[in-house]
Amino acid sequence: MAWRLPTQLPTPGKFHHHNDDHVTTSPNNAALSWRLSLSPPLPLLSSSNSKGKFCTQQVVRFKCSASAGGTTGTQSLNMGPGTPIRPTSILVVGSTGTLGRQIVRRALDEGYDVRCLVRPRPAPADFLRDWGATVVNADLSKPETIPATLVGVHTVIDCATGRPEEPIKTVDWEGKVALIQCAKAMGIQKYVFYSIHNCDKHPEVPLMEIKYCTEKFLQDSGLNHIVIRLCGFMQGLIGQYAVPILEEKSVWGTDAPTRIAYMDTQDIARLTFIALRNEKINGKRLTFAGPRAWTTQEVITLCERLAGQDANVTTVPVSVLRITRQLTRLFQWTSDVADRLAFSEVLTSDIVFSVPMAETYNLLGVEPKDIATLEKYLQDYFTNILKKLKDLKAQSKQADFYI
Amino acid sequence: MTATATTVTQTPKLGNSYSYSHCMYNSPIWVLKLNKTSTSTGTSLVTKASSGNTGKGNKRTKGKKTEIIPESTSLPPQQQQPVSLSLDDVNPVGLGRKSRQIFDEVWRKFSGLGQISRTTRADDKESLDALLIREGPMCEFAIPGAQSTTVLVVGATSRIGRILVRKLMLRGYSVKALVRKADQEVVDMLPRSVEIIIGDVGDPSTVKAAVENCNKIIYCATARSAITGDLYRVDYQGVYNLTKAFQDYNHKLAQLRAGKSSKSKLLLAKFKSEDSLNGWEVRQGTYFQDVVAFKYDAGMDAKFEFTETGNAVFSGYVFTRGGYVELSKKLSLPLGCTLDRYEGLVLSVGGNGRSYVLILEAGPSADTTQSKLYFARFSTKVGFCRVRVPFSSFRPVKPDDPPLDPFLVHTMTIRFEPRRQRPVEGPSGMKQDLRSFKLILEYIKALPTGQETDFVLVSCTGLGVEPSRREQVLKAKRAGEDSLRRSGLGYTIIRPGPLQEEPGGQRALIFDQGNRITQGISCADVADICVKALHDPTARNKSFDVCYEYVAEQGRELYELVAHLPDKANNYLTPALSILEKNT
Repeated sequence: MAWRLPTQLPTPGKFHHHNDDHVTTSPNNAALSWRLSLSPPLPLLSSSNSKGKFCTQQVVRFKCSASAGGTTGTQSLNMGPGTPIRPTSILVVGSTGTLGRQIVRRALDEGYDVRCLVRPRPAPADFLRDWGATVVNADLSKPETIPATLVGVHTVIDCATGRPEEPIKTVDWEGKVALIQCAKAMGIQKYVFYSIHNCDKHPEVPLMEIKYCTEKFLQDSGLNHIVIRLCGFMQGLIGQYAVPILEEKSVWGTDAPTRIAYMDTQDIARLTFIALRNEKINGKRLTFAGPRAWTTQEVITLCERLAGQDANVTTVPVSVLRITRQLTRLFQWTSDVADRLAFSEVLTSDIVFSVPMAETYNLLGVEPKDIATLEKYLQDYFTNILKKLKDLKAQSKQADFYI
Repeated sequence: MTATATTVTQTPKLGNSYSYSHCMYNSPIWVLKLNKTSTSTGTSLVTKASSGNTGKGNKRTKGKKTEIIPESTSLPPQQQQPVSLSLDDVNPVGLGRKSRQIFDEVWRKFSGLGQISRTTRADDKESLDALLIREGPMCEFAIPGAQSTTVLVVGATSRIGRILVRKLMLRGYSVKALVRKADQEVVDMLPRSVEIIIGDVGDPSTVKAAVENCNKIIYCATARSAITGDLYRVDYQGVYNLTKAFQDYNHKLAQLRAGKSSKSKLLLAKFKSEDSLNGWEVRQGTYFQDVVAFKYDAGMDAKFEFTETGNAVFSGYVFTRGGYVELSKKLSLPLGCTLDRYEGLVLSVGGNGRSYVLILEAGPSADTTQSKLYFARFSTKVGFCRVRVPFSSFRPVKPDDPPLDPFLVHTMTIRFEPRRQRPVEGPSGMKQDLRSFKLILEYIKALPTGQETDFVLVSCTGLGVEPSRREQVLKAKRAGEDSLRRSGLGYTIIRPGPLQEEPGGQRALIFDQGNRITQGISCADVADICVKALHDPTARNKSFDVCYEYVAEQGRELYELVAHLPDKANNYLTPALSILEKNT
């Protein structure tokens, strides 16, 4: 029933009073705070004059769809009769990403039945299916495709973020709002959301702003949820520094004093599932950080040492990044770029993206020694890659190589 | 550039079924590189791949080709520029494209600087995680050797089987799944690169096809009904058929190499006819000679004969204190066979349930005076049973002698002595004289050695089965276990407690032998044990029960919990199994 949503959409006003007593009052707040801080108005909002109303409409929409689906009581939707949902069924949103695929692997290995929400695309994400996950096609930017994917799902793990080339708001805000509302309406029992560390402190960075508003929106939605704030992924460093150094290409770095506690995504996935099963963590906000915070320069030095060769470093002063951001903001067609560059605002402050983890480890019952350190991670990478390269050289007798 | 293009154009011809192949998993990039070097290399590689997999391998072949596509698109732009100048280089369109590529590259790096949670570009990712995340040694699931191992999963759609197949796929194994019928529901349940074989374990001919090219078998099928016929077909006959087919396949492989399968048993003696009793000698003796014993000696007697019913029976009585009777033969091994390539003996015997001492004489066969004696005790059951006696359980009669070297064994003796006999369980009031015995011999074989387990069988403890059915189910399961034990394959028999459908790795596990467990266990944990057992030498030739650790209710704890949860890179199986008995 649920996927016939758009056709059953009633006029918003009709249901407006109906939901005020339930969920929607607080989402209004979240949306409002969002609106206040965000300068360019959302395109979707142009029809309705208030942001709050927009959110309300969304909720009404899904509520009414659920009642059409058979539950007579509009209030509590997860009490409807039918097949009981197995607690091992989970939906991973953003499952093709760096973190998402580790989540999928971990979940499959722990014996969950994993469904992956993937955008329809010409080259399908085959590796997910090869591992034994079920792939369902949907697009967060098209809300009508979402409900069908949530049928029979117990837990939603949301690790999606828009691709670099697309506008941040489509997936990260509108898509997420639709997903959360839909999850609420369809009685999803737990929702795990990944956010960014310190996102509440940097409203000037659009992505962080959005993540923070989504956190609040999720809290207010009344869903049983866990918010996990992350600092940085070790896996990202490979493409950024390790590969260019091995290829003897130039490495771009900044002179920013910012420190980031990178973490192995495999560890994040592992901790996530421990948190997921711990009833005490319901509704909490956890921050996962790696064992040590690193500056860009430190990471490059480490890579150089492990690779046994000097990097050709091009250091870009943060001020250049800022100026570029200011410039790109001026034009409509480069606003996406400006959003991307917005992190430079964060980089200028000598802020540390890290958090003491002792309490979290304690809460989850994890040994700190089981968390991978960046040194160990990069060392493993370089040992393996250098060995491979040596084998390959012997095989093909060719001097130039790339990864 | 041209060579790469060739590869890509070849791809669509090879079918549109997408699947990944494991042998290529960790090196797709290098393949591409070779392609780039010369067109001929690329082509030959493709043909090799397709010729290598005929018939059922088709699916995999297609996988190899599709693997190449994302790689070819993911070439970093700079790398594609030819070094020498050609006509293409001065083509204005080409130049424009090239400059744009360079600009894109620079811009990408520049804008990447401003990111905190960096997302690597999609094409970067493809080439990277083939190495790092998906299959490479950096993946926490990767197991060395998994890529060259094909595992047959029987019962892939069962509760354990489904998780098991996923776990194997994640670790990079090639997986074959034997299913009864391949309807859509079943196909959807299994990962797509799994090779599905349709067949029934009760049917030896389909099983034969299933074991082809397999290195290991995991059997987690179970009967879905309580009908006795069904139970026996799946739980007993199925295991029997699989072990037989697998051994046959091993023989066939060995014959191709003009040898004998290293997994086959060696027949030492078979008692099928009157003649087979030749060479066996009945002797008697006493451990000590004292006057008192001599006075009350009621004598002893034993005979070894072939009955009309076709059984070779060793029977008699020993009333003398400290007396024994024994049956002995000088072994004559087939040419080229030595016992050091075997790890123990298996005896198929019947009788009235006495225990016996097996004695091996070892030393240079030319000079028997230098022989040293080694003994191991084994007990039998009433009725027929197979007894495994590993060479490691033999101890020297003289404590100073070196441990048994199977290479030097030349004589085997089965001895009966009235000491240390336990009455067998039977109807009460039945009078047993423990000094008389009857041993029916069927065969004696040597068991091959090996490092790892070949066959993992998921059996059950009987807990959680309704009492009315329990005996029936257990009988079939035990029969299946027995047929595996006497197959000569390296085996691991896992008897989990009642299965629960919940995520694994959450609670401590108890490994035990002796049917004492009380708790349930999650399907995912059982699947994990199966996977870990595949390459664990301590799991070879063991049967064990496994369940969750008993957790007392709050305030009613009897003991403190001193255990830890199975965790990342934490191999809990080796320490847990190393203390358990082998050949059980």
